[in-house]
Amino acid sequence: MNLVNYKPCVCNLCGTGCGQFLKTDGHKVYGVSPLIAHPVSKGKLCIRGWHSNELLSTNERITTPLIRENGELREASYDEAIALVAARMQGFDGAAGEIGVLASARSSNEDSFTLARLTRDVFKSTLRGIGAEAGHRKSMAALEHAFGYPGAHGSLTAIDHADYILVVGTDITRQNPVIGGNIHAAQRRGARVVTLSSSRTQIAKLSTKHFQEKPGTLGLLVNALGKALMAIRTVNHDRRANIDQLPGYADYAAALRSISSVALERASGIRYEEIEEEAHHLEQARSIVILFSSGISGLDRPTIDAITNLALLSDRMDHPHSAVIPVAGISNLQGSFDMGMSGELGNSVFKALATPDSRIRALFVIDHDDGIIRDKERIAALDFVVYACAYKSAFMELADVVFPLPAYNETDGTYTASDKRVQITHKNVDSRHHVLPGWSLFERIANTSGQHWGYHSATQVFKDIAAHTRGYGDLSHELLSKGFGQHWNPKGFAGCGRRKFNAINIEYWESPTTPEFPFALMIGKAQHYWHQNNLMRKTIVPRREYDQTLWLYPQGYIEISPDDATRLKVRDKWLVNVRSSIGTHMKIAVKISPDVQDGTAYIPYFIKNMISDFLLPYENAYAAGEESVIPIQIQE
Amino acid sequence: MSMSMYILSSGEISALVTELQASYDVYGPQVEPQTKQVFFDQLATPAALDLEAPIPSMPVKEILFPQMERILKYKYDAENQSVAMSKQYFERPKALFGLRPCDLSGILVLDRFFLGQEFVDDVYLTHRRQCLLISNTCLHPFPQCFCVCTHSGPDADEGFDLDLTKLQDGYLLRVGSEKGQAIADAHQWQVATPLHAKEFKAVVDRSIDLFPEMATDNKAWVAKVMNRITTGFVKQETWEYIGDQCFECGACSFVCPTCSCFNIEDTQTPCGECERLRMRDSCSFEGYARMAGDHNPRQPVEDRRNKRFFCKLSYPQSKKYLRPGCVGCGRCQWVCPGDIGLPNVVQYIRREITGGQN
Repeated sequence: MNLVNYKPCVCNLCGTGCGQFLKTDGHKVYGVSPLIAHPVSKGKLCIRGWHSNELLSTNERITTPLIRENGELREASYDEAIALVAARMQGFDGAAGEIGVLASARSSNEDSFTLARLTRDVFKSTLRGIGAEAGHRKSMAALEHAFGYPGAHGSLTAIDHADYILVVGTDITRQNPVIGGNIHAAQRRGARVVTLSSSRTQIAKLSTKHFQEKPGTLGLLVNALGKALMAIRTVNHDRRANIDQLPGYADYAAALRSISSVALERASGIRYEEIEEEAHHLEQARSIVILFSSGISGLDRPTIDAITNLALLSDRMDHPHSAVIPVAGISNLQGSFDMGMSGELGNSVFKALATPDSRIRALFVIDHDDGIIRDKERIAALDFVVYACAYKSAFMELADVVFPLPAYNETDGTYTASDKRVQITHKNVDSRHHVLPGWSLFERIANTSGQHWGYHSATQVFKDIAAHTRGYGDLSHELLSKGFGQHWNPKGFAGCGRRKFNAINIEYWESPTTPEFPFALMIGKAQHYWHQNNLMRKTIVPRREYDQTLWLYPQGYIEISPDDATRLKVRDKWLVNVRSSIGTHMKIAVKISPDVQDGTAYIPYFIKNMISDFLLPYENAYAAGEESVIPIQIQE
Repeated sequence: MSMSMYILSSGEISALVTELQASYDVYGPQVEPQTKQVFFDQLATPAALDLEAPIPSMPVKEILFPQMERILKYKYDAENQSVAMSKQYFERPKALFGLRPCDLSGILVLDRFFLGQEFVDDVYLTHRRQCLLISNTCLHPFPQCFCVCTHSGPDADEGFDLDLTKLQDGYLLRVGSEKGQAIADAHQWQVATPLHAKEFKAVVDRSIDLFPEMATDNKAWVAKVMNRITTGFVKQETWEYIGDQCFECGACSFVCPTCSCFNIEDTQTPCGECERLRMRDSCSFEGYARMAGDHNPRQPVEDRRNKRFFCKLSYPQSKKYLRPGCVGCGRCQWVCPGDIGLPNVVQYIRREITGGQN
């Protein structure tokens, strides 16, 4: 009999990378414990982490390869399914853009690296992508321009020591609660925590200072902070000579100077005097951490540029307790980007799916659950779709061949958290159905297609990752097994150490609201809801929490302020008609929240027909992420 | 019964573990090698037992009331219109070797909740029935400990079968039950002298002295805060201040030795059977408090938070447990991403009472 013991691993449910123990006898997972010695999570977990045992013991698993025959999926052997995939894929011209590959931001680096190799060497395709990648690519581009490498500057542990912490936009106690907890702890030990957010989020309430700006003006606010900081320096004849020598400084400074305090206040609702006062605090801080959310609901590029510029202008970025971190909602978004699975600009698989006359005919998909509703018809019309995932999902209905994958604790793998910390999880549970790990599956497909890679273990794959991936050169499974991971080394990039300002434009965002459509609607987040809930739907307690929101608001809800509710003569849970400026409409319940500003409204993006009927026609709503605004009217 | 006391060498302790392993699943504190984190798990060998390890990171209730367990399987046969059912929890004799007094107190609270009221919980009873409880005095407090405030340490004074305290000459073993005496009678252990009893008292007093000032200072305040909470005099602003810091993760309930809330769910297995799962739950969750007809008496987070502290620190609740619901282990303080572990809540209410002084 195997004893039941706690085995350490890394939680795989968001981009924080918390340390976690799973209680297991090697066959099943019975419970969870937080890992006290972990440098980032320090013995804390969020509701997801605490319930990962429920996910890991769900019965909703894919257990064998499946092949679609006469419209129905039937069980198949690996040999048969792999042979079919290899043969069918050879019939498409990957180089001509006929094969698209969608990687998962939850896969291990080993899986993503071998998938990239399969895409390049076997499918001969350059058409690839990661779910949720679009937002992260913007963060990476802005950071690479500023710091010389595509990744976070500094470590999440800097939060525990920094003097000043700036949270831009994100509802971080909902999306990455353990990071939110660390920020709260920093505030208690005396760090100045400043949140810029159009709604009164929990982190806003826990901050030293909350700037509640009007929607769409986050970037402007960050730039105004830059202007005020620059002004203090000019007055003080401060010595920071090297900052104004950096490339792009002159243009940046000119743009900042052009900011008009009157226009700023009109656009953002924030007085410049308040910003000036804040800049004094910023000036006095020796170490500064800036956090923003990256990924599907992340910030737009101009806002991220404003953030990296402010970081450089502060001249505190060389301090060991300073950091600029794009916080990812998905566990290995950074790693799958590092492994090269992000589509090049303009050549993403999403774009190919969205372009009616693109040549895409086949799709190879891992784990995908984002944006599925969006491209469903196109995917259904493709000639051949392969899908691999640990859990059953709606995507199986679109697939011709389905492969099972192990859950994160059923195979060895490394994961790269938001701050570039690469951590290893060792297999601690036998895969119940002898499921091949992703890297092994991809190798066997390559093998059947005539290529022999010779990988026998994830450790061996990682050796290749270290040899071929910039920043990963110093790392190995052996090294990562010793502590709690290690950040990849930015010195692997030639540009590391450089500092460059991003080009910015000062725009006074005009709200698209009109007297007819007076509310600025934003796509908000909700508690207990993460990444289309493909995973959390398979738990028990977090799912109940999500369901109870639906019980209270079965048609979904729109959050508005108490004063607006009084003006509209509506009460909580009353149904209202919501009409957008392009004519889409829906009936939805009102949720009255004192945390929302007058004139703004939030809808969580978790109700299917809300997305498809109402939001989908707004292409830019997705592109602009957290800052997108739709003018609407609300009627009783 | 009068309490017998013996002095055991380390070798005799190991021999006792080995002997117990013949008839019990023996659990005890052990240090996870890679992370140095302490867990109260089943011992593979007597050598794995570490009686000097800090209090386990997870409460010992995990063994009697696990985070999640399968309690029932059933299958409906549509043709014969019959249901085949089988229970999935089984009785095994367990020896819990080296319980910290806080965890022992936690078990006593759970006993009163699951067994001491109108309904007896059969699953808990099955896990609990053949338990041998061996406690271990804390020679010094561990970080965040405050059992001196909650009458649950640093030594145990009820509920154990055997109790250990490390003295100069070896381990003082106190017998607390007939079951414990039967074990002692089967051995030729050296009988302890009055000097040993005196040393035991000195060891406990020294341990109490080692508690940080905040914990000892809070002793009276826990009682005062209980009074405040019971009479409902805590201001709404204080609860809101506490509620704003709640991240709704449920961690405090999961690591609390006395939290007993659970959820039941039936799930279908691929072969058409149903499994009935029971898993721990938390009053910090909104869905936990929701009633039929969409009514939720505790919808705002602060209302859910204060429910927990009513449960831990109010007279009516304590009457049920025959002691405060909090055993002073401090684990809720370790795991809280906010800053609302129970000792801090006592501090916040204290600050309210004193008007910000202290």
